[in-house]
Amino acid sequence: MTGMEEYHNSSEGSFSSEEADVIVKECVDNVVGGEDYSQSQVNKWTSSIVERCLTQLVKHWKQNKYIVTCAVMQKTGGGLHTANSCYWDTTMDGSCTVRWENRTMYCVVSVFAVAVA
Amino acid sequence: MEASDSYLIRPHHQHKFKPAIVKECIREIVRERLSGVQYDPDQVPELSRSLADCIKDKVKNAGFDRYKLVVQVVIGEQRGQGVKMSSRCFWDADTDNYAEDIFMNESLFCLAAVFGSYYY
Repeated sequence: MTGMEEYHNSSEGSFSSEEADVIVKECVDNVVGGEDYSQSQVNKWTSSIVERCLTQLVKHWKQNKYIVTCAVMQKTGGGLHTANSCYWDTTMDGSCTVRWENRTMYCVVSVFAVAVA
Repeated sequence: MEASDSYLIRPHHQHKFKPAIVKECIREIVRERLSGVQYDPDQVPELSRSLADCIKDKVKNAGFDRYKLVVQVVIGEQRGQGVKMSSRCFWDADTDNYAEDIFMNESLFCLAAVFGSYYY
């Protein structure tokens, strides 16, 4: 029965922070790995990173709503802090934050997965 | 008989996540807590955490009952560097929404974003 097949497609189980970490790292490496900070390109980079992460995450776990944020900052010695506070169901929802850097910039990607029902 | 709302699949128009109201909540809190504050690397982690909690509590009490909330606060030092933040969401555009606000003074910048996701 084709209906049953679709139900079992998302056999990855529930959202896992460790797996999401790997997926996000790979996406970031693919977009900005080896590049130097460039004011003209940064718009394109952040868009690509969030879009890629989102598509990969949805492919893995279809049953969640996702919020992906990405911050790219030039390395000038200044500090950057992010904090998250969430009001949700801790048994079903999860998040994952990835910090990535190279010689000229920092990249922080946060993924929030929210269950729908 | 009081109708239970456990089978509501769409929020009533009045209970929808209203970005304008939430933006005002964020603005008030951030302006109050960060005006005149200098960037201090020892205090900022605690400051950003408590800001996020404050904002979450305020929005929760604003009456969006069926909404799960994600609050993100980013505080950075002003050193003339370039920063770009972007976000993308995979959700139900009819019921879910977000609000954000940015605050800057000479020594720091702060971005706060609240994402609301309806729980069917």
